[in-house]
Amino acid sequence: MNNLKTDITPYLVKQLPQATAFVDAKLKLVFASDKWLALFDFAGQNVNGKSLHQLLGTIDHKQQKILKNCLQGTPGKTYHLQDLDIDHQERWTAWDHIPWYDDKENIIGVILQTTDVTKTFTQEQQLKKLEGQLTDISEISQVGLWEYCAEKQSLFWCDISKKIHEVPKTYKPQLESAINFYKEGFSRNTISMVVYKAMENGTPWREKLQLITKKGNEKWVIAAGKPIYKNNKIIGITGTLQDIDDQVASETKTKESERLLKTVIHNLPLNVFIKDRESRKILVNKSEYEFLGFDNPQSVLGKSDFAFYDKQTAQDSRDEELHIMKSLKPMLNKEVINIKKDGTSTALLTSKIPLMGEDGSINGIVGFSLDISEMKQKEAELMELININALQNKKLINFAHIVSHNLRSHTSNFSMLLDFLVNERDETEKHRIVNMLIEASDNLLETLENLNTVIDINHNVNLEKEPIKINERIVHLEEDLSGYLKNNNATIINTISDDIHVLAVAPYLDNILVNFITNSIKYKKPEEDPIITLGASKNGKHTIISIADNGLGIDLQKYGDKLFGMYKTFHDRTDARGIGLYITKNQMEAMNGKIITCSEVGKGTTFNLYFDDTIKS
Amino acid sequence: MRKNIDAICIIDDDPITIFCIKKLLKFVVNCPDISTHLNGKIAIDYINSLVERKEAFPKVIFLDINMPVMDGWQFLEEFIALPIKEIIKINIITSSIDPLDIEKFEQFKRRTKHNIHFSHKPIGREEIEEIINRK
Repeated sequence: MNNLKTDITPYLVKQLPQATAFVDAKLKLVFASDKWLALFDFAGQNVNGKSLHQLLGTIDHKQQKILKNCLQGTPGKTYHLQDLDIDHQERWTAWDHIPWYDDKENIIGVILQTTDVTKTFTQEQQLKKLEGQLTDISEISQVGLWEYCAEKQSLFWCDISKKIHEVPKTYKPQLESAINFYKEGFSRNTISMVVYKAMENGTPWREKLQLITKKGNEKWVIAAGKPIYKNNKIIGITGTLQDIDDQVASETKTKESERLLKTVIHNLPLNVFIKDRESRKILVNKSEYEFLGFDNPQSVLGKSDFAFYDKQTAQDSRDEELHIMKSLKPMLNKEVINIKKDGTSTALLTSKIPLMGEDGSINGIVGFSLDISEMKQKEAELMELININALQNKKLINFAHIVSHNLRSHTSNFSMLLDFLVNERDETEKHRIVNMLIEASDNLLETLENLNTVIDINHNVNLEKEPIKINERIVHLEEDLSGYLKNNNATIINTISDDIHVLAVAPYLDNILVNFITNSIKYKKPEEDPIITLGASKNGKHTIISIADNGLGIDLQKYGDKLFGMYKTFHDRTDARGIGLYITKNQMEAMNGKIITCSEVGKGTTFNLYFDDTIKS
Repeated sequence: MRKNIDAICIIDDDPITIFCIKKLLKFVVNCPDISTHLNGKIAIDYINSLVERKEAFPKVIFLDINMPVMDGWQFLEEFIALPIKEIIKINIITSSIDPLDIEKFEQFKRRTKHNIHFSHKPIGREEIEEIINRK
């Protein structure tokens, strides 16, 4: 045994597959395996008999205690950090201390089994560090981490994952309950499917899903996952969970407001457009592109007004926009007439507002326009009606004054004359007053007759206009007036061709012609025979019959406004009654026509009668 | 007591009115020279000739508004421009109730020193008396 001890033991120890050393009770090295010697770089040196202190430097307090315990029969384990000179590397060694018994079971020393654990040790440390970092990242980014181990069927959630699910930190998740957090329907179906696929085929996933938290809140998350492999076998899944609810909510809100805005813009009964700085349309609503004659906005976008309107309209619009972009002052509710390329014109009520970028620079124009053509048309019609009304009203008031004035004039005469008659004693004077009363009565009757004529003209609106061959009426008239014409040596020169017709009410036409012709003779120059020239011409929707004479003429500057007034006479002539022209004017107006007078005192007068050619009366 | 007035002028195109005014005047004044004129033109020509010849001037004028050739307003326009030193009584006598005529009357009243008065027909003896005696 001793032999063996002395001869074989060292050799056996030398060959031990592990780094092993035997120290005696005084901690002096007795044997060491080659591996142990190599571990501490003692290969080839005779280190037997040297103490551990000598060999390894200071032995820390913990190991000293273990060694002491071991010498009393208790094994122990410790780690030892060693600085290696080479490369300033650290080496961790694990020491197993086992009591060394002799054949009599006496502890004679300690068997030390040393293992280099540097690799394991650093890996473990790194892992711890990584785990810490991961937690940090998870907390900073609010991305939850989770891991599922298939073998243990266990699911791990980090704190953030728990926070997202709104469960307490003590919550223990299960795969099934985790899946049930997802909203029933699309979200839950999707998560079940992707988890299954990941486990079966190793397909990673990333899905935007909705889950309902423990507290019942619905939220949007991005759930991602990928399989964990070990020896080419899927043993679990690891993944992340990200709360994107705020993001989705604001996204949805933006989309909703966008849709709302679009709906409003497209359905506004108003043309809306946005133009860039070159006045090219970059946004148009339905009303605008339909107004321009298209069924889609693409046909309009990128084009300027020159593509749709005539040159002048487009240039005006461009100038307007340049001004707005320069002055930065909006143009509000401007009435413009826009003429399109095909010539159709539209009245638009347009507003243009400068479109500013966030930095305050000008980006273009926002415009609104409303088609007010129909409104303008109605307005014009209304104005015409108002004008007609005002005219009628003026005529009525005028007529009322005429009536009142004339009747009052006669009645006051009656009243004064009767007053005289009652008090008069003288028979001759009485007779004179009675004669005057008769005259006043005749005057009153005549006035009433005249007023009746005027009322008739203004009220016989149902009198139909008919085409009348004008020369036929003139021939009749010349026959009727032949005596009067002859007595006054008057000549009528008729230059009207036989095919000329006027649309007129026959009795009115006769009266008008008689009036003007007799007037020309009444107001002839005393020393000159009257010559009356009749002519005809066309002017738009009017046929003009002119009656020119070589008579006294009228000072139109003085009397122009009174020429056709009732009971206005301008010549000191006893047979001037001041009613003829008033009636002719009323008759012409009743036929929708007018009279225009040219005259020069001492030369003569021309009356141009404008007969309306349209059937409407 | 009838008042003595040298000359009176009546401007009216209606013979009946002239007759009536003349008849009424006889009750209240002694006037050897009552001239009548059928429109404003004749009247202004007459008055112009009086001014030129520096003859006695009518102190009282009766004036109608609606007359041919030159109406009452046109007459007044020319009359107030004449260089007459005395204040003349001008009485507009009309059957018109047109508010425009009243307005025109007020305008003339403001523009002239002459004593202008406006009355509606018919007028009676008391009114003529009042017109003649008015200061």
